[in-house]
Amino acid sequence: MLWVDKYRPKTLDKVTVHDQVAQNLRKLVSEQDCPHLLFYGPSGSGKKTLILALIKQMFGAGAEKVKLENKTWKIDTGTRTLEIELAMLSSAHHVEMNPSDAGFQDRYVVQEVIKEMAKNRPIDAKGKRAFKVLVLNEVDKLSREAQHSLRRTMEKYSSSCRLILCCNSSSKVTEAVRSRCLNVRVNAPSEDQIVQVLEFIGKKENLRLPAGFAARIAAQSNRNLRRAILFFETCKVQQYPFTSNQAAPPLDWEQYVSEIATDILTEQSPKRLFAVRQKFYELLVNCIPPESILKKLLAELLRKLDADLKHEICHWAAHYEHKMRLGSKAIFHLEAFVAKFMSIYKEFLVATFG
Amino acid sequence: MGKRRQVVVLSSSSGEDDGGGRRGPRARRPRTPASAPAPVQVQAQAAGASRKKPRRESSVGRGRRRASKLAPSDSLKDEFDMLSEDFSECFNDFSMPGFIRKTKELWVDKYTPHSLAELAVHKKKIEDVKKWLEEKLKAPKTTVGGWTLVLTGQTGVGKSATVKAIADDLGADLCEWTTPVPTLWAEHVHANSGLRYISKLEEFETFVEKIRKYSMLCPTNTKSQRKLIIILIDDIPVTSGSGSFARLGKCLTGLVRSTQVPTVISLTHYHKSENNDTAMWKSEDLESLLQDAGAHKIAFNPVTTNSIKKILVRICKEESCNASEELLHQMATSSGGDIRHAIMSLQYYCLDPRRHSSALATSSNRTGSKSHDSLVPGHESYGPSSALPSPCGRDETLSLFHALGKFLHNKRETNSDVGTDLDPFPLKENLRRNSLKMDVPEKILSQAHGKVRTVADFLYENVIDFIDSEAVDDAWAVVSYLSDADCLLTASPIASYNSENIAQLIAASVAARGVLFGNAHGTPSRWHTIRSPKLWQIEQSFRSNKDHILKERFDCSRTCGFSNYSDLVTEFRPFERWIGPRNDGHRSSCLPHGVGGSPMGVADGNNSEEDDMIEDC
Repeated sequence: MLWVDKYRPKTLDKVTVHDQVAQNLRKLVSEQDCPHLLFYGPSGSGKKTLILALIKQMFGAGAEKVKLENKTWKIDTGTRTLEIELAMLSSAHHVEMNPSDAGFQDRYVVQEVIKEMAKNRPIDAKGKRAFKVLVLNEVDKLSREAQHSLRRTMEKYSSSCRLILCCNSSSKVTEAVRSRCLNVRVNAPSEDQIVQVLEFIGKKENLRLPAGFAARIAAQSNRNLRRAILFFETCKVQQYPFTSNQAAPPLDWEQYVSEIATDILTEQSPKRLFAVRQKFYELLVNCIPPESILKKLLAELLRKLDADLKHEICHWAAHYEHKMRLGSKAIFHLEAFVAKFMSIYKEFLVATFG
Repeated sequence: MGKRRQVVVLSSSSGEDDGGGRRGPRARRPRTPASAPAPVQVQAQAAGASRKKPRRESSVGRGRRRASKLAPSDSLKDEFDMLSEDFSECFNDFSMPGFIRKTKELWVDKYTPHSLAELAVHKKKIEDVKKWLEEKLKAPKTTVGGWTLVLTGQTGVGKSATVKAIADDLGADLCEWTTPVPTLWAEHVHANSGLRYISKLEEFETFVEKIRKYSMLCPTNTKSQRKLIIILIDDIPVTSGSGSFARLGKCLTGLVRSTQVPTVISLTHYHKSENNDTAMWKSEDLESLLQDAGAHKIAFNPVTTNSIKKILVRICKEESCNASEELLHQMATSSGGDIRHAIMSLQYYCLDPRRHSSALATSSNRTGSKSHDSLVPGHESYGPSSALPSPCGRDETLSLFHALGKFLHNKRETNSDVGTDLDPFPLKENLRRNSLKMDVPEKILSQAHGKVRTVADFLYENVIDFIDSEAVDDAWAVVSYLSDADCLLTASPIASYNSENIAQLIAASVAARGVLFGNAHGTPSRWHTIRSPKLWQIEQSFRSNKDHILKERFDCSRTCGFSNYSDLVTEFRPFERWIGPRNDGHRSSCLPHGVGGSPMGVADGNNSEEDDMIEDC
């Protein structure tokens, strides 16, 4: 088992990084009624950990017995019947799923699932907590229609089920959904917190950490706790005992993106643009999300860029990131950004060095 | 005595009439007028009248009934009978002219060639086909294989006509598949009228099966009067998808191998630009398949302009209509070798020549003026290739690749000073472009009628090659326009796949014009290969990879349930490879993946034209 999973806090009491949030959540649940919840925050900050711990707090150990099922939903749209297959994890008390996997049919899934859950409402012997919890991941990736239908069903079936939504950016969730939920922001952990966690794991694993080692990993992880732990484990696998200046290798795709950045900075021509396109293809075919590519590429470019240009480049990156969401072929927009960058950078070089 | 008797008969007959009348109207109502005269006739016979024509009989009957109207109980019913009879009579009267009017025959049917001399096809081809058929008709039935002839060529070049004429000439019977009325799937689903759905393909298969069996039985005819039979297969069912195509291919090759009757299969080659439809381009595959199975192939070329003209002149003479020589010539050229089309247009023209020639004039005027006040600055002169729009020609079509070539090569006039001074809104220097040496881009797009998405993908894939090696700004302009086009395409609703959608049209326009405008410093013309978009291949493998990853995600992190897909890809997978093969180590490595490959891109035969070279003309 990966350390990421092994050292995941299982209950709200054991949560160390967001202990304040965890305590609040515990109070919330202890008052028997739980509103709909929306967890948002950057990836690797502990949203999922909090959600799972919360569910355990609510239902006890029974919520940990989950089973995976690939359920096929038959949805009658009037003119034809759709069949949508979607994987879901479910226990007696909660169901977890990722509706955005259904692509543009996500709106059917959202409605149908909630309706079905409302139908077979669990009956508690004590008459308490007679509701199920539905955990929806990646709500920000849901289409607008799906979010609207979510809004409606949330109200209609609020007596029988509680929703826990989880997303990276709350700005991509519609206002209507956000206002119906209790919003819980989960910050990215600070580097000190990451160091603490790493040292905690090191102690449990009986590892001896050289001074500054944890801090270096924390810095490399970019305030992403999951990534930090993964880096840590990688270092352990690659070389133990740790040497004082050991560093984890960079992620392969990130390295690839930084190669692209170097390519762009060394030559600006349509031919190079074409070469870059092939590299983008390679990343895309390996399912690296285009947003991540653009973000990483921008970070790499900014590192090596003159301060005068930074603002403009950021502007264009934002512009094409937006376009990317509007459009459907990410490569068009990625390449447009690269071309724009080349154009600006070349002009800058000519102006500076003649 | 006799008189009294007659009266009795009359009354009794009216009583009888009651019995019949009770049924009569009720039964008659739903029936069509054609069945109406029958009861009338019965009544008339009952009245003792002899057999006459129904209409007169009915009037006799009516007269009789008027006489018997005195009987009070019958009056209402009689009236009803009368009305319904009148109605049916009216209906007959009404429908009469329809039968009488002689429908004017279509000239295409009227002037179907009956002898070899009348055919417009090249003599040599006719000779070839005839020789082959003669040979086969004489050949002993026992030989196996080689009984099939495949005729290929565009539509309207006289493939079937040639076979028919030759069959007449040789005195052979021509057997054709009479296609049954197809049941549409939608009808089957919605009408639930108990129609059994049989796909065209299935019907065709049973037909082929039948003729294979029939050809076995054929030689049992008495030797002395062996009937000459030629089978003509003209109507090959449309297939979609490789599965059904394979079925069709299997069925046809089976036929080719086993038939023992001369069989002619005529395959229509569609015009290049129309074969975007997947169902169409299979005809070439089919052709090679049949040839492999041992069929003899004769390809028909488009009918020459001169022979079309000759035919048209002959028809003109026989129909005594005076079409000018010039017009006939134009019709012949614009038909593109399709003689059926040429005759059709001639007949259409001859309906009312006066009105038509004026239409010709106005339409040419309109297009002339349109080029002046189009939105594009400067004049977009029509290229020399586009002829004067003919009132009855076929629309000129372009192949997709031709259109792409036009956009990519971006031909412009060289003299730059045209009309810049006269322009009331002078553009900035860097936004000015010389006028295009081609039609309006939208017109080219409509002629090429490709899907907008396809056009955009092709442009994106290839445009970089055509940009000057120093002009990064141009590259940016072009790609940014394409990115806009992509946004427009995505914004248009998914449901409507037709390219007539306005958002799609605009997107196509943005893409094409963006490419034309952005590429300001054109490269000197040279040969270029138009690649098929690699993007398609990438997307395909992306999808399969994604499915793979999604399936695997549960062994990645059991306890955390669903992890985000992006986290999975960007974090878990790369790390997993370092941390070690916990599961079985068979997980394919992430990067570099075997995307690379030949610069030619897709090689799975999805697009047979990927290697099309565009000559820089």
